[in-house]
Amino acid sequence: MRTIVPVIVAFLAGFVMIVSFFFNPERTFFGRIESEVLVWVTIVGGFTLLLGVVSITRVNWHAVRTKKEGWVYNLFTLLSIFVMAIPAMLPVSWSQLFGDTEGSIYDWLFFHVDYPMMATMFAMLAFYIASAAYRAFRARNPEATLLLVTATLVMLWRIPMGEAFLIRVGDTLLFGYNLPESINTYIMNGANLAVQRGILIGAALGAASMSLRIMLGIERTYMGKG
Amino acid sequence: MNFWDKLGTLDRRWIYLLVALSVIFPLIVPMSFKISITPEARQLFEAVDALPDSSVVMLTFDYYPSTVAETEPMATAALHHLFRKDCKVVTMTTIPLGGPSMAERVTRTVARKYNKVYGTDFVNLGYKANWVAVLKGMGTSIEAIYPADNSGTRLSELPLMATVKNYDDVSFIFVVADNDIVQNWVSIVNAQYGTPIGAGVTAVGAPKYYAFVGSGQLTGLLGGMKGAAEYELLADARGLAEKGMGMQSLAHLVIILMVIVGNIAFFAGRWSKKGKVK
Amino acid sequence: MLKHLKIRFLLTFLLTFVADYQLAAAQTSDDIFRVDRINALITFVLFSIAILLYIKWAKEGKPLFIRKIAGLDAVEEAVGRATEMGKPVLFIPGIQEIDDIETIAGISILGRVAKITAQYDTPLVVPVRYPMVLAAGQEVVEQAYIEMGKRDSYNRDIVRYVAGEQFAFTATVNGMMMRDRPAANIYMGAFFAESLLLAETGNAAGSIQIAGTARPEQLPFFIAACDYTLMGEELYAASAYLSHEPLMLGGLKGQDLMKVLIVVLIIVGIILMTLGFGDAFRNLFEAV
Repeated sequence: MRTIVPVIVAFLAGFVMIVSFFFNPERTFFGRIESEVLVWVTIVGGFTLLLGVVSITRVNWHAVRTKKEGWVYNLFTLLSIFVMAIPAMLPVSWSQLFGDTEGSIYDWLFFHVDYPMMATMFAMLAFYIASAAYRAFRARNPEATLLLVTATLVMLWRIPMGEAFLIRVGDTLLFGYNLPESINTYIMNGANLAVQRGILIGAALGAASMSLRIMLGIERTYMGKG
Repeated sequence: MNFWDKLGTLDRRWIYLLVALSVIFPLIVPMSFKISITPEARQLFEAVDALPDSSVVMLTFDYYPSTVAETEPMATAALHHLFRKDCKVVTMTTIPLGGPSMAERVTRTVARKYNKVYGTDFVNLGYKANWVAVLKGMGTSIEAIYPADNSGTRLSELPLMATVKNYDDVSFIFVVADNDIVQNWVSIVNAQYGTPIGAGVTAVGAPKYYAFVGSGQLTGLLGGMKGAAEYELLADARGLAEKGMGMQSLAHLVIILMVIVGNIAFFAGRWSKKGKVK
Repeated sequence: MLKHLKIRFLLTFLLTFVADYQLAAAQTSDDIFRVDRINALITFVLFSIAILLYIKWAKEGKPLFIRKIAGLDAVEEAVGRATEMGKPVLFIPGIQEIDDIETIAGISILGRVAKITAQYDTPLVVPVRYPMVLAAGQEVVEQAYIEMGKRDSYNRDIVRYVAGEQFAFTATVNGMMMRDRPAANIYMGAFFAESLLLAETGNAAGSIQIAGTARPEQLPFFIAACDYTLMGEELYAASAYLSHEPLMLGGLKGQDLMKVLIVVLIIVGIILMTLGFGDAFRNLFEAV
């Protein structure tokens, strides 16, 4: 039962949505299933957010209670959750500090703590890409050389002074050839476009195949069954 | 280990220092550059510009706070453009982490400059869980998915939403995103309802969407801070993106320089080893 | 048999060409069946036939050739390296929820990797971002250890929930990498901006790194920073490749047949469009 029921549920869920796609929602019940299910999914989605909060609280409280390594950080996580969530849930009519409008505790914490922290973590990518490029962009073989040259051209193309440099190179060395336009046409809208389409098609087929295997019960490793 | 080997395996902290200096320098010595417009950015601008005044445009804030440097200038420039044209703007987001707050803050800041009234000229629908259900559901009825706006006011009480029931009443969708949601806007909304969609995405995601522009599924594309700067220039709403181009330019040049140095070290190291072997 | 099948496919395709062209024009809101979506139905049916056919042949014992995927062959080598060094293997099944197909693929691969680590008694660390992924991961790893007869070696903390936010998760995992210095890092699933943060930190920690994602925009970062990278559909093929189970390999081959069909259609389309007769052909693939 533990194996059969999830497989049946997976099959029915997928099959119903596929069948519903091909029927007119204005004329048939089958066609309306899709829109009904999506409304239910929105409702259930809201509850999974709640489930996420409950799980985070449970996991972090357990770490604090058992004094696991780094438990202070778990305590800080718990405090952060409640300090942000509770004032946001209280009615604005009680105080301007409540709710999630401008001037509230939630709004202040979001824009003065969360916002800059997330932007800072993302900004670290600039440093990491520089070190990764320094290490990886070496002309070891023809493919690596092609990667190196293309990356350099695109990096130059994306900045104004680089673009000006490329135009100057085109004018002086390539008889007026418009290099930036060529990069846009042949690299971005040519090679890049073709490769992206190929990967997208392959990935879509892979996802469809995996979905079909899940529906048919062939792929069951996600349930813990090999 | 000779000099070239040491140069080839340079401690990454020196590289981080150089990048940091390249970003800090333009803050001290402001730099400005002539920004050229890519065909994709021009296509997006012209598509929005060609909309009749008072058209309803849906502007999505589908980005996390981490990418604000690239995406928020796009949203800001788009709002300037739309409000100047007297377009009605309906904002929404599929990002639970701060999406509604950012939409609220950015839209109201720009709206104040044009004396736009909330409820009549613009509405913030906020966030609802499960983007598939939201994107599909709005094709039938926006009110079914969003019974109330972000601040809890029922849609029936907002004059703008009396005339905007579903995608048929929306002339254009301007998606500003830092994730795959653009693909879903295209496959769910553009493919099934025919509403034209333009996108502003991060530089990392932009190469993927050239395929959609090429096939006509996307009407224009802005890529990264450069794309935001282009739109600011076109919409005459110069802002942070244009100022940020100085930093981006220097950072790119530093990376290119490091790549050149790395390759010199690589080849010089190889040749010196061959010389020793001989 | 194959020749007969080819003829049937061709006939189906031609009939579709005619039927679709006629029916698509006739769709009205009174119709029960969405005839404007018949191209999607045909594609789905063909796809299902291809998958089921190869699964049937696989069950009959027909040998199915799968090309080598270097990244997946390196998994066992990576685990071996970790065993020799006495260091753990770090596995991240992506940062998306369990409903993302890439996460399911990642969890499937985790099951295979857990069997290898159980076999060699190599420590395994699996940080996850969502509670549902935690539950699925724990189930999968426990089952793997039980199947390898190493139930006593299993520990619930192998799969651990670290943080719910993308960069909080990344910062935590980066800290784990720099402190524990895992010998092998395996990233299989959906990744976003943190891909380079994770891969570059792993590189700084001296780990051998194998990555796989279906997101084209993250592939360049993994290719630059990792030793092996699985691109796009190779991620979905990984579970079948590692298990060598005929049923799974059959599904993989069926998917490849569809790809061949798409390539043929693209070539036919290019020729027809070049000659100026492509509009009707292109209309067959209008998405609705």
